[in-house]
Amino acid sequence: MSQVSIKDPDLNNLLNILNEELKDLATKIYIDKTERVVYIEVAKEKILDLAKKMLHLGFDHVKSVSAVDYPQEKKIELMIHVGSYLRVIRKYTIIIRSMLERDNPRVSSLTSVWPSAEFHERETWEMFGVYFEGHPDLRRLLLPEELEGKWPMRKDFRIATRKAGEAEAPWK
Amino acid sequence: MSGSQDITQELAQEMFRVVETGVKEEGERLIELQIGPTHPGSGHMRILAWVDGDIIVRCDPDIGFVHRTIEKLSENRAYIKTIPLVERPSLLDTTPMTIGYVNALEKLMGIEVPPRARYLRTILAEITRIASHFYGIGILAIFLGHSTGFMWAFGDREVMIELATMLTGARITYAYVIPGGVRRDMPQNFPDAVEKGLRYIEKRLKEWEKIFLNNPVVERRLRDVGILKPNIARMLGVTGPNIRASGIDYDVRMIEPYEAYDEIDFMIPVAEEGDAYARGLIRFKEIEQSINIIRQAVKKIPEGEIISPQISRLFNPLMKKIYAEQKRVKLPSLMATLKPPKGEAMARVEAGRGEALFHIISDGSTNPYRFRFVTPSFRNVILFKYLIPGHRIADLPAIYGSLDYFPPEADR
Amino acid sequence: MTISLGPLEIPTRLVYDFLHIFILPGFGAVLILIILIIWAERKIAGLVQLRYGPLHVSRRFGGILQLVADLIRYTFQEFIVPRGVDRIAYLTGPVLALIFAIIPIAFIPVSPFIEPPIYVSSNMLLVLAILSMAPIFIIITGYASDNKFAFIGSLREAFLMISYEIPFIISILSMALLFKSLDMSVVVSSQANYLPGVILNPLAALVAYIAIIRITGRFPFEISEAESELVMGPYTEYSGLMYGVAMGIAYIKLYVYSILYSIVFLGGWLPILSTNLVESYFIGSFIILIKASLLMLIAVFLRSVYPRYRVDQAIRLGWSQVLILSIISLIWSLILSYFLR
Repeated sequence: MSQVSIKDPDLNNLLNILNEELKDLATKIYIDKTERVVYIEVAKEKILDLAKKMLHLGFDHVKSVSAVDYPQEKKIELMIHVGSYLRVIRKYTIIIRSMLERDNPRVSSLTSVWPSAEFHERETWEMFGVYFEGHPDLRRLLLPEELEGKWPMRKDFRIATRKAGEAEAPWK
Repeated sequence: MSGSQDITQELAQEMFRVVETGVKEEGERLIELQIGPTHPGSGHMRILAWVDGDIIVRCDPDIGFVHRTIEKLSENRAYIKTIPLVERPSLLDTTPMTIGYVNALEKLMGIEVPPRARYLRTILAEITRIASHFYGIGILAIFLGHSTGFMWAFGDREVMIELATMLTGARITYAYVIPGGVRRDMPQNFPDAVEKGLRYIEKRLKEWEKIFLNNPVVERRLRDVGILKPNIARMLGVTGPNIRASGIDYDVRMIEPYEAYDEIDFMIPVAEEGDAYARGLIRFKEIEQSINIIRQAVKKIPEGEIISPQISRLFNPLMKKIYAEQKRVKLPSLMATLKPPKGEAMARVEAGRGEALFHIISDGSTNPYRFRFVTPSFRNVILFKYLIPGHRIADLPAIYGSLDYFPPEADR
Repeated sequence: MTISLGPLEIPTRLVYDFLHIFILPGFGAVLILIILIIWAERKIAGLVQLRYGPLHVSRRFGGILQLVADLIRYTFQEFIVPRGVDRIAYLTGPVLALIFAIIPIAFIPVSPFIEPPIYVSSNMLLVLAILSMAPIFIIITGYASDNKFAFIGSLREAFLMISYEIPFIISILSMALLFKSLDMSVVVSSQANYLPGVILNPLAALVAYIAIIRITGRFPFEISEAESELVMGPYTEYSGLMYGVAMGIAYIKLYVYSILYSIVFLGGWLPILSTNLVESYFIGSFIILIKASLLMLIAVFLRSVYPRYRVDQAIRLGWSQVLILSIISLIWSLILSYFLR
């Protein structure tokens, strides 16, 4: 699926294999100009099968699970950075992206495939409100109790500042 | 592309065995210990440990006490103001964090960095790596009760901090790396001072072997404690010296060389046992490798500009004068309202504790649309939940110290 | 062995008893020696660790009065009693431990011709018995503080007390077997006739010293008050003057054990070559104090070198190696005493 010429032969192999294995699952596969990052876009129902296929290909850990909030399009985009410890493919980072509905973002948890995603998914839950079905222990990780349910990283959460003369912070 | 086994069954057998089976209700045999934030052996976090007699049955890290919302703050600030923000979480090896962020920004904007600036960044990054490893060794020593190791580690770390002060003017948080290069050139006496400092550290490392690495009580406390097997480490996504002590030689400086690392010759120390002693030993060996890298970089550093011409052509005459005379970069006003093109970029660096990841998504305005920032300690938190059960209470500080987990770095 | 002092016997005895209890080797010596030993511990640790140690309090003397400043501060600090503690045990635990640690001084003779204030013919056994009561009150202290860490600390103290008091008692009694007497004055004068105890039975000396390091909580056996695992062990909930008392217990025990050790193994009040030169009370007790200080200095120096053991490693060491060595030293004493007829 790449139109520009790729200088790295290993990346060519990787792209061919990815295109072949994931042809029913992924909607789009492309690379960036540094030739070290491969983007895979996938629909949210197929993300668990895609993850299992990636695991079989050798990508064995998750570097980051996070989200990007697009309030105008009413979508939250899930962004998962995946990598591998195997020698041949450790220089590539695969970024899996998936669009979720902003009103009720639910997606199946990837901890059954990649256990390293456990704490990242907890952080995404408390920051964006993305519910991961099947997560063994989904509760807040970094935030205090008063911010539970407020999804601070969404764009409509304004950081409240205290004005001069106010005794208590306005978010209390 | 060989596949790995089906991880799910293996995980259920090995990792969840202690968590699922054998946990009785509290009050029968279990005591819940809250090794809370104001405990000498806990750092800025709370560790909840359920203890049966002397054996820890379940362990739950409760982090977030020093969460500073760096990702949210960066969305309201200009790009260049995030550079000091990114330094603050990992207070000990600050330079690799700034290098990562600035690398991502440079990839986004297509700025080329001159070679002298790349070497200067490398030298400072390795200086802070030595300081960070000494901190980790000092914390490991004091958690075992070895106050001499603690004091010596912080004393030796001062040498590195003095060198950094000579180069940048600040002790710990430098904000030295800017998009396009670095802010200052190195002074005339810097290479000699570096050589003196490195020789002192090498002399001290021999003393360290006698009092710490060959100390029989230290060996009894650390050998065969907290063994992390390589396949479990791969599953859990562990990074840094912790995984290099389990046999996997994963180091971003070799995989995706950034700055001047592809022109410098160095080795990655790897150990096979995976216990706490191996993790401590790897840190000592990495200090030796960093000394090697600094020596080569100081010798090989090319002459030239320290800031990219794409930035320096924006200087006004006063800035040009200061740059020509003192080799100091004054930031042009355009940097404060930098508007990268729409797109995204990702960069990875090897900080002292492992691999850090920076992902910037830009929508063409002066503030980033989304800045994702994962630190190595955040990836290592999962070891508290899965590595500690099965060990004794006194092994908790030993394993914690050997992991070199730094709570502010994990909380960001 | 006493000499009759004629009509002035009772007042002279009273004077000597008073000196023994309050000055030398009683409270006065305890206070001064503890100030000096804690200062030496911190100064030695500082010098090893490339720093100054105590310096500012009395600059000209190198910070010797640092502990006096600390004690003054503890005296005026607010003494907070938490709500859920068992008040009687909480308030009296450290005090009783201190009492039982310091009472043996009244039984220990420091001169060949003057009896100790309370003379019992088997005073070695009595001193051992009283000293082994002190850990019980430490355990009660930890249990009375309503705190899980204190509880774990007193559990550790209980385990370790059993593992290391027994070898200590066995090794001291093996010396009593060797010298055929439980009276400390007889033991010292036997050492004048033969050789110091440390040469006659070095195994017992080694075992006894290791046990002393454990009993008084010196590194590498500082386990019940392990700072990075349990905040302060049994003394977690103490502040103010009681904290000073709790910290002092370990050093007072070290002092008394060192005096016992120097009498049984190092020849007590005899100078190096055993002669009968020493007859006066002052020189004899001074020599004992010097030997005891030497032992205490070695014990506190270990802080700069070793971290602490894990509790199960220390218990295993006590039961498998130290106990066996003490029994071997007992057998050795039996064999040797046959020849020392």
